[in-house]
Amino acid sequence: MSLNGNGNPAGWSGDQLTVLLIDDDREYLEVLAERLTIRGMTVTTAASGAAALEQLAAGYFDVTVLDLQMPELDGLGVLERLAATGSTPQVIVLTGHATVARGVRAMQLGAADVLEKPVDIRRLTETISKVAAAGQQRRQQTRPETGPAASPRSPLAGLFRRLFGSGKTT
Amino acid sequence: MSSYHGQVDSLGLSFFGSMTASISHEIKNALAIINENAGLLSDLVALSERGRPLDPERLKTIASTINRRVQNADDIVRRLNRFAHSANQPVVATGIREVLACTIVLAERLATMKGVTLSLAEGEEIEVQTLPFVIENMLWICLKHIFLHAQEQQRVVLGARREGSDIVLTLHGAPTLPLEQLVTTVSGEAQPLVLFLKMQVSADTAQDLLCLRMPLRFIE
Repeated sequence: MSLNGNGNPAGWSGDQLTVLLIDDDREYLEVLAERLTIRGMTVTTAASGAAALEQLAAGYFDVTVLDLQMPELDGLGVLERLAATGSTPQVIVLTGHATVARGVRAMQLGAADVLEKPVDIRRLTETISKVAAAGQQRRQQTRPETGPAASPRSPLAGLFRRLFGSGKTT
Repeated sequence: MSSYHGQVDSLGLSFFGSMTASISHEIKNALAIINENAGLLSDLVALSERGRPLDPERLKTIASTINRRVQNADDIVRRLNRFAHSANQPVVATGIREVLACTIVLAERLATMKGVTLSLAEGEEIEVQTLPFVIENMLWICLKHIFLHAQEQQRVVLGARREGSDIVLTLHGAPTLPLEQLVTTVSGEAQPLVLFLKMQVSADTAQDLLCLRMPLRFIE
């Protein structure tokens, strides 16, 4: 078992972030929610795309962690609905069905990052913290004259590297 | 060799790809649950080292979940193995209900994603001589089109009956799409398989059935 410098479980941040966790596998939802809660996050769960939209309409979350493959309204459907309403929550896609096409589509629809299941908890918590910080920064820079600078590199390039490794290219 | 033989192989490869992608997704999900539960055990141990008492019942529940999901993953891999072997199987004598049941298991996850429930109609086993993989491929094409137009909580029942020297496979519970249109769509996409299996695709509108008729014994 790896502990951080404070003797807490790996990935502990204790920064009280609010996280909405969406997955149709309730067993997965429960265990991942418990692990994130241990790490100091306040976690709300939703077991379907429709329930997720209700939660997002009812309250604010620093980060939303979204599964892609779900019955009825899937993860891409959730992102499409959010995009259509102009809602821009900070979304991390966490999926066992990561293809470049679906990952690219998710990011085109506003997802901040795409992670593949099974995920290392430290990787997930770091990504949640990073995405939450980016969201906070974005909110602070809503005035046009102080708008955010353009990203120095495409997030899609990073996505491709993560899904297919950093093998040599010719 | 007829020109459609290559197309049968091509359709088979596409079917094989769809099924293995779906099955690998199921394996990933099982691994994800196992991963998180194993991680939670580590978390609880770490917390106990900081003074929080360990709850033996909680540990038992986690261990039980891990065992169950490992068993589940093993079942999935066994299914994948059986499916992989069916792809290079020659003509075999087999029960048609067994082929239908395998198709249901293969398509179940994708059906669930569409809110569709698949089941096998009651009936006695009928022995056929055929290529199970090609039959499964044909049924998959039918199901794929049914899923495309499915309504929520739709039930689709697969069945079979013998008629003289033929076997008739039936799919009951087609969606809002008219049966005749389903016949045209399926016949078009699966034409090489229809020719290969000497199959007739038709609609029994009175009983709301999509019917696939072919000889009991596969004729090369």
